[in-house]
Amino acid sequence: MAVRAEHAVKVYGTADTAVTALDDVSIAFPAGRFTAIMGPSGSGKSTLLHCLAGLDTLTAGKAFVGEVELGALSDRQLTLLRRDRIGFVFQAFNLVPTLSARDNITLPMTLAGTAPDPDWLATVIERTGLTDRLGHRPAELSGGQQQRVAVARALATRPQIVFADEPTGNLDSRSGNEVLELLRAARDDFGQTIVMVTHDPVAAGFADGVVVMADGRVTEGGTR
Amino acid sequence: MIAIIARSLWARKRRLVATLLAVALGVAFLAGTLLLSDTLRANFDRLFTQADGGTNVVLRGATEIGSGNSARTGVDASLLPRVRTVPGVADAQPYLEGYGQLLGRDGKPIGGNGPPTQAANWVGDPALNPYRLVAGHAPRAGDEVVINRGAARTGHLALGMTTTLLTPQPLRVHIVGISTFGTADGFGPGTFTGMTLDAARAHLAGPVRPKGPGAPAELTEILVKASPGVPDQELAARLRPALPAGVQAITGAQLATEDLDDINSGFLGFLSTGLTAFAAVALLVAAFSIYNTFSILAAQRGRESALLRALGGTRRQLAVAGLTETLVVGVVGSVAGWAGGIGIAALLKGVFDSFGFALPAGGLVLRASSAVLAVAVGVAATVLAGVLPALRASRVPPLAALRELAAEPARISRVRSVLGFLLTGGGVTAVIAGTAGGGQGPAIAGAVGTLAGFVVLGPVAVRPAAALLGAPIAALRGVDGRLARDNALRNPRRTAATASALMVGVAVATLFTVIGASLKASATQGVGRALAADLVVYQPGYAGGAGKAGFSPQLAAGLGRLPSVGVAAGVSRGSVLLNGQAQTIAAVDPDRIGSVLNLGVTAGSLGAVDSGSFAVSAAAAADQHWRVGSRVPVVYPDGTRARLRVAAVFDHPDVTGDYLFAAAGWAPHAGQPLDAMVLIKLKPGAALGPARAAVTAATATAGQPRVQDRAQYQASAASYVTTVLGLVYVMLALAIVIALMGVANTLSLSIHERTRELGLLRALGQTRTQARGMIRWESVIIAVFGTLGGVILGTFLGWAVVRSSSGASLAVFAAPPLQLILFLVLGAVTGVLAGIRPARRAARLNMISAITAA
Repeated sequence: MAVRAEHAVKVYGTADTAVTALDDVSIAFPAGRFTAIMGPSGSGKSTLLHCLAGLDTLTAGKAFVGEVELGALSDRQLTLLRRDRIGFVFQAFNLVPTLSARDNITLPMTLAGTAPDPDWLATVIERTGLTDRLGHRPAELSGGQQQRVAVARALATRPQIVFADEPTGNLDSRSGNEVLELLRAARDDFGQTIVMVTHDPVAAGFADGVVVMADGRVTEGGTR
Repeated sequence: MIAIIARSLWARKRRLVATLLAVALGVAFLAGTLLLSDTLRANFDRLFTQADGGTNVVLRGATEIGSGNSARTGVDASLLPRVRTVPGVADAQPYLEGYGQLLGRDGKPIGGNGPPTQAANWVGDPALNPYRLVAGHAPRAGDEVVINRGAARTGHLALGMTTTLLTPQPLRVHIVGISTFGTADGFGPGTFTGMTLDAARAHLAGPVRPKGPGAPAELTEILVKASPGVPDQELAARLRPALPAGVQAITGAQLATEDLDDINSGFLGFLSTGLTAFAAVALLVAAFSIYNTFSILAAQRGRESALLRALGGTRRQLAVAGLTETLVVGVVGSVAGWAGGIGIAALLKGVFDSFGFALPAGGLVLRASSAVLAVAVGVAATVLAGVLPALRASRVPPLAALRELAAEPARISRVRSVLGFLLTGGGVTAVIAGTAGGGQGPAIAGAVGTLAGFVVLGPVAVRPAAALLGAPIAALRGVDGRLARDNALRNPRRTAATASALMVGVAVATLFTVIGASLKASATQGVGRALAADLVVYQPGYAGGAGKAGFSPQLAAGLGRLPSVGVAAGVSRGSVLLNGQAQTIAAVDPDRIGSVLNLGVTAGSLGAVDSGSFAVSAAAAADQHWRVGSRVPVVYPDGTRARLRVAAVFDHPDVTGDYLFAAAGWAPHAGQPLDAMVLIKLKPGAALGPARAAVTAATATAGQPRVQDRAQYQASAASYVTTVLGLVYVMLALAIVIALMGVANTLSLSIHERTRELGLLRALGQTRTQARGMIRWESVIIAVFGTLGGVILGTFLGWAVVRSSSGASLAVFAAPPLQLILFLVLGAVTGVLAGIRPARRAARLNMISAITAA
């Protein structure tokens, strides 16, 4: 299992204003698979992704990346875990506007102070089809191109898992399909584990399996 | 609309705090300045009214030599009997005033740094004497004195003690009375010694000149008391026909007004002009910060403004809303600043006191006109700084509400580059032309143009400068450094505007530093070439160098008899009217002066200077078109008129000043004989150490003056520069603090704007330490950029000032590299300080809300 949650509970606010975003969720995402999490707005799918990715902390229960329990880590350890073992593709604002596409792709390595593997980087970049756009800044790229740069960045560190949060939410269907095909190819050709949150059934169709959530619980699919 | 503005202001109150503070600090300085000036004026008014106002009519010499009431011709005592017979005169008393330095119990002079140290005959009639006896009795014998309570306290003296009074001849005096000035301890911090009229005649007057048998000495004034029912004006009018030529009668009230005018146009005017200039710098810096904050707020509110426009708000309404907001900030900040000004005024007085410029004490005087002025200036500066951002915000197209919009346009218009280069180029050219003899007008216009050019060019310069400054940071700090540099570059206009505030402050500091260093270098060089003496004996005065305190001529004579001393020459100072203009002159012994000074005589000879002639510096001679042999009309302090011949022209006026008189010709006209310094040339082969010890011992009773060798005197001749620079730095610190808050505020606001980006970086693995470092280095780049601009600008303007000055005091240009580097380092430290809070905020950012914010 690449990542899993055990009796995960997330409550926002306190007392009267408390909202339960995750209500005792236990789920595991197997390695080497592309899983989609679906559900209506407010179902807790993004919260689950944030907590599994170490961006947010659970109120109760446990979240694991590999065999590492996230709740036991300090902020610094969590940061380093995200940097070294997790790749992210967000819905929007994925790129640092002052950096070129290439610098954005290598940003996690730059933050870590490590040199990227040039062969792997070339392979990833070639897959995105952006070889000739690498020197451009995000503002000079289309929405679809920006998201493909984000996917390339997510893959560049060879993370244990890639989390994608509505990666096509802001794109037209053609650009969206290009991004989804890129994710699919990463699963097929490199065996990359991917967890993607989406409310678009077409996007979910690119995944190996679908987990459906509602009201903070998993209602359908999922292992265990 | 008002409700919307109010709500909008309230919602952003935290972001406005820094702006309010910038306004408040700027206004506080101005208000403090005005308050201090008002207070000092009122205090001096009270002092002078007390000093002179009680006397009904004062008779005094009509010819003014130099400024201040002591530099006047005197009145003859033979006038007294005649005055007493004039109807309406109840009493007339002689008044003879002079220099009298009291020594404290430790043998050191009391007071002396500016405020007067006076001695005079004790006038028994309380109507004619502002001093009141509070203990003991009036002086009856020649060695009995009354001293004021302030002097007694400072010098740890008490009734019954014996101490020394330098008149300047050391005089053993017995303290038989303690007096107050009205109810105060003294005339401000000044000291006063009252003695018998005979003692005053013996010690405070000039040498008695034979004017026929039993000719009495001259008096400073005759004080007249009116009979009951006779108005002062009336009495003065009755006295006038009885007075000889050269003596005038004025009422005490008129005299007080005159004294007050003197101090207003002199000391006080100088003080308040200087302080106001610094207040203006603080306000200018504050205005930059205000402009910046409002620009950023307007940009961040772009969508809100666009929404209002889409819903039917007119441009006018939006502009009015923006301006109202600045108005509110201006009024609130200015009123708070005025209140803070009370504290600043007290602080300023403390600063001046700690730097040795004692100001008269007294309660603060709050004047409505000053309060209104300070608040009005503050509001005007705020609104002016806010006009442009408000207008820009009102031009947002309604459609902008519907799209994600960049906070501010980041590109730099070509117009700006061209205008900036034209302004800077034109300014620099005008300044250079001005210094090369084109006159002050173009030089000042050029300086203003250069400053404006620097501000306009700022955004253009950001890219190369930040790239340059960022290079070492990027190399050293890796990715945080690189991101920091890129952040500084992303909005050059904002970066430049933030840095401009700091630039203005640093430019002024640099300007003063360069001028100060040049003054020092010039003094050192000038004294170095002019001084041939081995030792200099003087009493440190107001300006660090020899002041108005001094010694009896006997001291030089006595020092000349020391075995190791070859020549000891006294230099006394005084005022004369030369060709109708008041000038400070030095009186020396022409035969000796050549051994102790290297005057660089270019025409005529020093030996030819006698009682009918004088020597003049080449610069002064050129100004007045005098040559050797020219005849110049002169009026001596005692009113004697003569035509003197120019006997010599010399090149090095650095120790003596521009005009040299022969002591023998000067003394009979000069009143109290007073050597400002004694210059000593040792005998060939005499060792400096023992000689200095001998001189120190021989001068101990003369108030323990300074005995310095050449190098020491060179250093202290310019030491006042250090004091003044210290004051200037304290004054500028406030402007720098305001600039620092501006940098911090801008950074905080841009962090708010960059929330999502910072969140993304954190999500992708940027540690908190890295996030903090990134913001901190961005702050450092902005601060160093501004400091660098300020140092360059200030050095250039300083160079211009030095080059355009023709005087000997600014002959040499010096830019102290260490100090300027220190400014850059301080700039970087400022950046680190300004970055602390914003960096902490950036590191604490909630990632989830940052990356999911819509």
